[in-house]
Order: sequence, then C-alpha cells, then structure tokens
Amino acid sequence: MKLYNKHRKVELIIDQKLLERIGKKGIEHFPNEFGGFLIGKYSDDYKTLFISDFILPKSYKGSRYLFERSSKGMKSFFSNLFKKKKEYYVGEWHTHPNGSTGFSATDLNAMINIESSTSVSIKNPVLLILSVSAQKINQATFYIYDKKKLLPYE
Amino acid sequence: MATNKKEHLQNVLETHRMKHVQNLVDKFKTKRNEVKEALEAHYGSNIYYSFDSGSFKKRTAINTKFDLDVVVPFKKDSFETLEKMYDSLYDFLYEEYQDVTEEIRKQTVSIGLIFEEDEDGDKICLDIVPGRELNQDQYSEDNKLNLFVYRKYGIFSSSTHIQTNIQAQIDHIKAKENERKIIRLLKIWNNNDGKEYKSFLLELITIKAFEKEDISGNLWEKLEKVMEYIKDKVAEDGFKLIDPGNSNNDLMDTLEDWEKTNLSNRMETMLERINSNSDNIKSYFPTNKDFEDDDKSSNSSGYGIKTGGAAYSTPPKNERFG
Repeated sequence: MKLYNKHRKVELIIDQKLLERIGKKGIEHFPNEFGGFLIGKYSDDYKTLFISDFILPKSYKGSRYLFERSSKGMKSFFSNLFKKKKEYYVGEWHTHPNGSTGFSATDLNAMINIESSTSVSIKNPVLLILSVSAQKINQATFYIYDKKKLLPYE
Repeated sequence: MATNKKEHLQNVLETHRMKHVQNLVDKFKTKRNEVKEALEAHYGSNIYYSFDSGSFKKRTAINTKFDLDVVVPFKKDSFETLEKMYDSLYDFLYEEYQDVTEEIRKQTVSIGLIFEEDEDGDKICLDIVPGRELNQDQYSEDNKLNLFVYRKYGIFSSSTHIQTNIQAQIDHIKAKENERKIIRLLKIWNNNDGKEYKSFLLELITIKAFEKEDISGNLWEKLEKVMEYIKDKVAEDGFKLIDPGNSNNDLMDTLEDWEKTNLSNRMETMLERINSNSDNIKSYFPTNKDFEDDDKSSNSSGYGIKTGGAAYSTPPKNERFG
C-alpha cells in the first residue's frame, strides 16, 4: 500500500499484510487501546518511508481511551536493529477501539515530545492510528508529524 | 483572469478541513468521551458500546458547521417501549448536564446537548441518538436498531419509530474518497445557501451518481457531472434514494415535488453561470477565509533528519496516547 502526504511531498509504503498483523495485535487487546513502535527505513532521497515491521512495548498500560507505553530496556534492541538491518524506529502506532482514526490532543503532545527528544534523530516521525472493533480493523490512518502538527497521508 | 475551477475547488476543500480546528475537535471528542463514560456507568449492561456516527465518522465534516453524533444502542429488553428508552435517556442527560448546558433538547430521533461556551468562546454540541436493538441479542450481528421518533414531520410524519442500521449507513460511504470530496463541496454550497437540503440526501445522491454514471476527470469535472446528474434525475418520477440503513426509507420522500424541481433548477443555474464565467464558482463554493494561508508557510519536502544526531533513534521512555 502506497500513501502520499502532500504537505511534505513524501510517500509511505507498507505491506497490507503487515498492517493487518498490527491490527490483529490491537484487536487482541480490544476494548482497550493498545500500540507500540513502527520500524522502517527511508529511501536515499528521503522522499519515501518503507515501514518494515512493528514492535510491541515491553511494558504498557491500556484502557478504553488511553494507552501508555514504555521503551524502558529497549535501547539495545533499537541499536541492534540498526546495526544488523539498517532499520530504525520511525514512529508509533496505537488503536482507538470503536473510535475514529482522528488523533487526540494527547496523541499530538506525545508526538511533540518524541520529536523533541534528544534520543530521536528524525524530524518527522509517523503516527498510525487504527480504529478497531472486537472483530476487525475498521480503518487505519497514518499521520506525519511536522512542526507541531499531525498531517494525514492519503 | 479566469478562475482555475479545479484549483479553486481544491482550495475550498483545503480551507474547510477539520484539521484547521483541531483544538475544537479535541474538545468535542473529550466531551463526547465524558458523556459516553457517564452513559456506560449509568446504563451498564443495558447498552452495547456507544459509537460515533454522522459527518465526523463518515469523514464528510466541514469546519464551518459541525456537531458530533453519538449512537447509544440499548439492548432489546432494557426498556418496554422505545418512548421509555428515549425519555430515560433525556431524563438522565438533563439530570447530569442541566447545570453545564445552554440547552438540552428533544430532536427528531436524538437528544441535542449544547454546552455552555468555554473560556475560548467555543460551544460544544453533541447529538445523542438512542436506539434499541431490533432483535434480542442480535445487535452485535445485524447492527439493526429501532429509533424512537419524537418529532414527527416529513418522512417521519406518520411514524412512531424507525428501523435503521447506522453501521450500514457508515459502511455505505467507506473507502469512497472521491465521493466524499464532492459531498463536502455540496455541503459547503448548501451551508452557504441557506442549508435547505439534508446532508444525508446530498450524500446519497452523490454516491448514487458515482454508481450510475461515469464520474471521472479532475475535481471540477467530477463535481460538474454529479451536479448534472442531480439536475437530470432529482425531479424525475420514480427517482429514489434508498437509505442503506433501511430499504423502506426513500430520502426523496423528504422533498415535496416543488422542492425537487427547485433543486434541479438550482443545479442548472449554477452549472450555466459557472460555465459562462468561471469566477462565478467562487460565489457558490467559497473558500473558508479564516484558513486560507495556513498551508502556505511550509514549502519543505522529504523526511527530515536532525543534524548532528545519532544514526538511529530510540523512542523516549514513556509516552501516553489517547
């Protein structure tokens, strides 16, 4: 699946089956929110992001309208990922059970924190929000973060 | 200089996008969540999960006028009658929110909550739609609900209840991005012109036009073809717009014959005037001036990398999403 963000004129490519695998993890935690990290790599001209995998957090808290995750103890994992596969942490994903794929103020604040973190080298992390029911993915929307805004891919 | 109709319409859509009022949208969602939680706490196992419907859910909302619709599906055995269900919900909302609202009103099939202005001058409006499952324990499977009709007029003039499938209505427009753009444009025209027509009617007629005709080309060409379809068909005998939530509902029944003719005539006039002078498109489909310059500040492209940073990123320790 190829998506485009006209604001920064960039592409995002993700395999449909990978998206379904992410959604399946989210559905397993229905009716609570759930999420994790997105892994990928950029094209040489930094115009295309290939999402290659997703990672579940080691510790998290999920409720109907909130998801809190920790990356504690995962530094070596991300380091090895880069050394072995030249892949990076590129963003975050989480579910909205029976909700929309619109982002909340909490989501935007989290992305502001992430981009401003000294441990993060990317300026435009992505956010995937999946609307899920108990049985299926209703909808999925990717956003690119740029200058304190989240802008959807189409 | 003549107006480039395609570019103008793209700008119309861009300036009417909900992202421009994200803070306000967040307030709507926060308030909606509060109400949902209060309903779940009060009614417990008598309701299934409440869910969003309307233009937010269908992604046809425009930032000049919107409210948020929440459907509350009750179990079949929760109330003896639909009227008792409706009254119970009204009483609960009244009791719970009378002190923080300007108005709590009984509407055709919903209860409208208009909250008092906050410190920013924003007013949150929620429409709560109670529905009772049609068949005991079948709602999770068939999504069928019975709604109580409080105010009887038009299509509901002789009804005390209406059977519907709101999920089917939502699904009807799923993955139809081209249709959604045209629906938003027609809503912008309608809101700018006295809001005579129901958004749901404009939605169904647009989807039908895409189904029946070859609606292709650029944004203006698509809009033009949909407008021509409306002009040609809406006043025709036997033209129907069947509600995907209930095949017995024909949305065309909400219009009198003269209103159908009027809609057809208005489409014809608009098409003639826009095609004779492209500048006329601006009066029918205006941009939202409040947000005209929002997207002109950034001309950068590509994924950015911080200079001097590490080769890879490690996400910060704790983050919270909602």
